Amino acid sequence: MLRRDFLKYSAAGAGLLLAGPRVAFAAPGVLDIFFNSDTNVIDFWTQVVKPGFEAANSGVSLNLVPGGGGSGINTLADRAYAAFQAKKDPQVDMLEAATPFYPAGSLEAGLWVDFAKAGLGNYEKVNPVVVQSPALLPYRGSQVVLMYNSAVVKEVPTTFAGLVEWIKANPGQFAYSRPDLGDSGACFIERALQEVTGQKPELFLPDNYTDDYAKPMFEKLWPLLKDIQPALFNGGEYTSGNTASIQLLASGAVAMTVAWSDMALQAMSQGVVPDTTAVAQLQDLAFTGGFSGVIVPSVAGNRDIALKLSDYLISPEVQNHVVTDLGGFPGIKWEFLSKELQEKFAKVAPKSIPIFPSTWEPSLFEAWYRNVASDLKR
Amino acid sequence: MSATAMSLRNGWRGLAFIAIPVMAITIFLFYPAALSIIGTLVHPKDGGGYTFSLQSYVFFFTDGYSLANLARTLWTTVVTLILLIAVTLPIALYMRFTKGPLATVIQALALFPMFVPGIIICYALIRYMGPNGWLQSLLSLVGFHHYASPHLTPWGPVIGLMWDGMPLTLLILISGLSNISNASIEAARDVGAGRLRILVSIITPEITHSLLIVSALNFLGIFGQALMPFMLGPTNPEMMGPFMLRTFSSVRDPLQASTQATITFLICSLAGVAYVRSIARRPQEDRK
Repeated sequence: MLRRDFLKYSAAGAGLLLAGPRVAFAAPGVLDIFFNSDTNVIDFWTQVVKPGFEAANSGVSLNLVPGGGGSGINTLADRAYAAFQAKKDPQVDMLEAATPFYPAGSLEAGLWVDFAKAGLGNYEKVNPVVVQSPALLPYRGSQVVLMYNSAVVKEVPTTFAGLVEWIKANPGQFAYSRPDLGDSGACFIERALQEVTGQKPELFLPDNYTDDYAKPMFEKLWPLLKDIQPALFNGGEYTSGNTASIQLLASGAVAMTVAWSDMALQAMSQGVVPDTTAVAQLQDLAFTGGFSGVIVPSVAGNRDIALKLSDYLISPEVQNHVVTDLGGFPGIKWEFLSKELQEKFAKVAPKSIPIFPSTWEPSLFEAWYRNVASDLKR
Repeated sequence: MSATAMSLRNGWRGLAFIAIPVMAITIFLFYPAALSIIGTLVHPKDGGGYTFSLQSYVFFFTDGYSLANLARTLWTTVVTLILLIAVTLPIALYMRFTKGPLATVIQALALFPMFVPGIIICYALIRYMGPNGWLQSLLSLVGFHHYASPHLTPWGPVIGLMWDGMPLTLLILISGLSNISNASIEAARDVGAGRLRILVSIITPEITHSLLIVSALNFLGIFGQALMPFMLGPTNPEMMGPFMLRTFSSVRDPLQASTQATITFLICSLAGVAYVRSIARRPQEDRK
C-alpha cells in the first residue's frame, strides 16, 4: 500500500473511532429514537408503535435505543445542539421523555420542532392541560396514586388530611420512598407541601423559586412530616425507590404506599402484588403527576418521517394502547378514546393533573434530608 | 552491538509498550480528576479571573450532616472489613489444609457471588432478609418470632458488601496461604507445636502481607460503594457514595459533590498507599 493511501485510510479509521462506539450515519428511512424511559416503555414501542408505524410506512424502520438515563439523554441533547449550531445532521431523530428546556437556550434558538406549527393532523386532539411547551409532544402520562391492600385497608382515605390520620392510626403500615430515589415519594412530600400551604398548586411555578420565598413554606412542611415519621414503616424508614415501595406492599410489610399509576397497574396485572391490591386517588387535590413527551430536533436527518411518527403517536389508535397496555394516561382528550375506555376510566380520569415544577425539587429534597431524615433516632 | 545500547533499546521498547495504558490513564483518569480537585479550590470570580478558596471544605467539616455521613462510611467500612476477614479466613484455612469433594463445593459456593451482578444481589437480599421475607418465614417455622430485618438499617449494606467482597478476599487469602510450605508446618509439628501455636507462630506471620492487601483492596471497594448502601441502607446517615451521587444529581451542587469526592479520595489514598507499599516491599524481602 502506498504511504499516502495508508495515511488516508488510517485517518479515516481514526475518524470513525472518534465518531463513537456506535458508528452511525443517519440512514434514510432509519429513525434513531433515544429513550429516557424504563424498559416497560421501550417494550411498548417495540410491540405496539414500531410494528404499527412500519406497516403503514414501508421502507421506514425505527431504531429504538435506550438513552442511558437523564445524563445520557442530556448528552444527546448537547450533541443535537452542537450539530444545530454547525448546521449538520445530529443523527438524533427523536428523544423520548426528554424536555426541550435543555440545553439552556436551545428552545429559543429553534433547535426543537414546534409541534403546534408542524401541521400534525392529530394535534388538535391533544389535551391542552398537559402541554408544557409546543416543542414537547405529550403522549403518555402517569400520576401518583395510593396503592393499598384492600384486605387490610377497608376504607381508603379520600383527602390528604384523612391519609395523615390513617397513617397515625395504623403505625408501621405506610411507607414512601426517599424523594430523590423515587418520584412517588417526591410527589408525596410535594402534596404535603401543597397541603400545609392551603392546597394552592399555583404557588409553585417553574420560575418562581427563591430561597426567601420557599423557606417559610418549607418551615410549615417539616412539622407535618416529622409528626408522621414515627408511624411510618419500621418506625420511620424510607424506601430506596418506586419499586422498593411496591416490594414492601407485595411482601405484606406495609398495607399502603404511594406509587406511579403505570407501575401500580402493571404490578397488579403481572400478579406480583396480592390480588386484593387496589389503587385510589385523593379527591380533594390529586397527587401530582407528569406527562412524558417526545422532542424532535429541527435539523434531524429524518425530520419529516419523525413528524409523521409524532402524529401517529397521538393518534387515537396508539393512545388507546397507552391506556390499556402501558397503564398510562392519554396525551389526547379522553373523548377521542374508545367508548369502552372512556366509561371504564370515568372515575380516575383526572380533570386536571397538578404538576410540581422540577426547579423546586433540588432544594426541597436536600432540605428534606437535612430536616426530616436526619431526625431519625435509632 | 554494545550491552548499553542493547539495554537502551529494550528500555525504549518497554516504554513504548506502557505508553498506551499510561496515556489512557492520564487522559481519562488523572486529567479529569485533577480538574475536579482543582475546581474545588479555585473558583471563577464574577467579572473574570480566579480566586483561591477553601470554603467548600470549611463547609464540609463544619456541617454536622456531612460529618455524620463520613462517620457512617468509616463505621460501615471497618465493620464490614472485620467481619469479612473473620468469615473468610477460616474458610481459606479449611481449604488450604483439606482436599476432597466437600472443599470443592465450599470453594464453588464461596466464589459464586463473583458471578452475580450487585443489583441482583440487592433485590434478592431484600426478598430474602427483608420484612416478611424468606428468612423471617423460615425462622418463624422453627418458632423464632423476634426477627428484626436488617434491611434499611446500617447492617443492610454490611451484609450486602460482605456478600460482594467475599470471593476476592477468599482468593487472595488462599493464595497467601498456599505460599506456606507444608515442610515448615510439619517441622513445627515435629517439635511438638499444637494447632493453635502453628496458627499463631507459623501461619499468621506468613499471611500478614495477604491480610494487608485484602484490607487495603476491600477498604477501597467498600468506602466508595454507592449501590449497596442506597439499596439496603438507611435513609440517614448516608454513606459517601450515595451522598456524593445525590449531591451531584439531585441537589445539583457539583462543587460540594467534588469536595466530598476529594475527601473520599484522600482517605482512600491512605489505603492505596498501604497497598502499594505492601506490594513494593514484598519483592525486596524475597530477594534478601
